[in-house]
Amino acid sequence: MTVKHSNRRYSEITGRAVLYAILIIVAIYYLIPLVIMISTSFRDMNDIRFGHLIDLPSSFSFEAWRMAWSEVQIGARRQLGLRPYFINSLLITIPAVTISVILGAVNGYVLSFWRFKGSNIFFALLLFGCFLPFQAILLPQATVLGKIGLSGTIPGLVLTHVVYGVAFTTLFYRNYYVSLPGELVKAAQLDGAGFWRIFWRIILPLSTPITVVAVIWQFTQIWNDFLFGVAFSSPQSQPVTVGLNNMVNSSTGEVRYNVDMAGAIIAALPTLAVYVIAGKYFVRGLTAGSVKG
Amino acid sequence: MANLYIDNVHKSFGETHILKGIDMDIADGEFIILVGPSGCGKSTLMNCIAGLEQVTTGRVIIDDEDVTQSMPKDRDIAMVFQSYALYPNMNVWKNIAFGLEIRKLPKEEIEETVGRVADLLQIRDLLKRKPSQLSGGQRQRVAMGRALARDPKIFLFDEPLSNLDAKLRVEMRTEIKKLHQRLGTTIVYVTHDQIEAMTLANRIAVMKEGHIQQFGTPQEVYDNPANQFVAGFMGSPSMNFIRCQVVDHQGDATIAMSVDGKDFHLPIPQQEKGVRERVGQEVVLGIRPEQITDVVPQQEQASTLANVDAEIIVTEPTGADTLTLIRMNDQEVNCRVHPARAGAPGDTMTFMINMDKAVFFDLASGDRI
Ligand SMILES: Nc1ncnc2c1ncn2[C@@H]1O[C@H](COP(=O)(O)OP(=O)(O)OP(=O)(O)O)[C@@H](O)[C@H]1O
Ligand SMILES: [Mg+2]
Repeated sequence: MTVKHSNRRYSEITGRAVLYAILIIVAIYYLIPLVIMISTSFRDMNDIRFGHLIDLPSSFSFEAWRMAWSEVQIGARRQLGLRPYFINSLLITIPAVTISVILGAVNGYVLSFWRFKGSNIFFALLLFGCFLPFQAILLPQATVLGKIGLSGTIPGLVLTHVVYGVAFTTLFYRNYYVSLPGELVKAAQLDGAGFWRIFWRIILPLSTPITVVAVIWQFTQIWNDFLFGVAFSSPQSQPVTVGLNNMVNSSTGEVRYNVDMAGAIIAALPTLAVYVIAGKYFVRGLTAGSVKG
Repeated sequence: MANLYIDNVHKSFGETHILKGIDMDIADGEFIILVGPSGCGKSTLMNCIAGLEQVTTGRVIIDDEDVTQSMPKDRDIAMVFQSYALYPNMNVWKNIAFGLEIRKLPKEEIEETVGRVADLLQIRDLLKRKPSQLSGGQRQRVAMGRALARDPKIFLFDEPLSNLDAKLRVEMRTEIKKLHQRLGTTIVYVTHDQIEAMTLANRIAVMKEGHIQQFGTPQEVYDNPANQFVAGFMGSPSMNFIRCQVVDHQGDATIAMSVDGKDFHLPIPQQEKGVRERVGQEVVLGIRPEQITDVVPQQEQASTLANVDAEIIVTEPTGADTLTLIRMNDQEVNCRVHPARAGAPGDTMTFMINMDKAVFFDLASGDRI
């Protein structure tokens, strides 16, 4: 008995060791590009020019970061650096995320608790929005934006992202809310609460996990968007993804890897931050519904 | 305080018909118990009364006012849900106070009401806790508290005591009865508990498959069931049903019975006139376990009595009585005998059958004859 037992433990430990080894290798594989990006962004051009492209920094400076943020000439633009693009991205992303998440929550609330005739068909049609490829809506959306006078503006981009995002946020909230017991709303109705009060006082306080999911999803989608950003913007309203692209493409002469790397990290930083802050809830929220209060 | 009139209410979910024409006329201040097997539509009917489900056809009238199209909050009904439906994000105090706050009661009055209800339901220590930190029985009492804090026209209770331990359940039952006597509010109350049904009800409605089978006082329903379903559903252990033949015995209609190979006749009680006309036919005799007992000498003279020797198959002591299984007409029959007089399985003992309250059902339809 004892022998068998220790044998099993032995094989369990080796199994575990193999598993960890694989995980570590995969993690390194994924982390190396990031490490190289970060280290390169802190090197100066001389170091890169005379050393290897992939090397640990022998010098350390914030020069490349400063350049990328506020000094490089991007296209023919008068303001220098990525900063104006970054601000544009914030001006697009924050309202678009806020509005699409709020609309999604209200939609989900109605579709789960205040069913109306045809609400299932409505929901099914809305789901089409999730499967619609971005390219398919480029032309019609451009026409619409032109008609309502929002072509090339930040509000136009916000509108586009809201319209496209509502399908996803509605899906998230609706699927989360159908897992909540319907009697909650019934009880609140008997207590005398109306549509909005039930939403605010009962349903919304239970929505934290799914709100985190929706916000992360929408934030990364909108912040990282390139296609809409390039198609529906004017030079004054381009988001940071477009700015980064222009910066990398428009550098004359030698390629300044350190500045490009710093710029890429700047462009990626906000989504990274959102994941770090809320990522824990993201995983939890995706499995929510199986956990009842 | 209000009367409640349910007029031919039908309710379907898509193609499934759940309520198939419910009619109930409930007077102001009545305590109505709704019983029926699981899935027969009790909760659905409660939801229809409260306005949480739209009726498919029919009317709901409260206080002589047609509220069929009214919103739940305008009907002034408080309900305890079968699933409790406590607000998970609020503590017990908030759960109870929520409805009062919405109705804009003054702060002191809310404080006082919550305190009173908490004392009544013995949940004062729990006021600060969230529902997830409560046991099932505690949650159920909070659900009760949320309803009792209000002073509505009608209370709807959907199995409000099902999760409590036996002692607490009896205490709460008494509290509810006292409360009803004090407030006189109309109550519709769903339960699976026979004793709750018999002790609390002014009238009992027995439901099956979306129909009301019988609607009457507890004693009526118990002694005078409308059909075999009601007879079998009310009472625990349930009524014995014995297939038997009506025969002419010395010029009088009687029931032919055979126990352990011995044939004899059982008298038909005075009030069961219909059965006398069925001489030669098979019927179902319904007789409750407490009508078949050990021999009680001082009753032996009554004309509706018959004594019979039967072999005991199984005994089940319940404490107060011992349930004894015998065979009559080759069908199992439960009898209720005094524990001291009960024999052991395999013994033969003399039973006294009291036909005074026997009832008869049609073999095919199960309707009362
Ligand atoms: N929203 C709904 N959609 C479809 N069918 C439903 C719905 N609600 C209830 N039903 C069905 O209606 C029938 C009656 O349900 P109901 O909850 O009223 O039963 P009940 O008498 O309260 O049973 P129990 O004693 O188990 O609580 C069940 O067969 C149930 O499946
Ligand atoms: Mg029910």
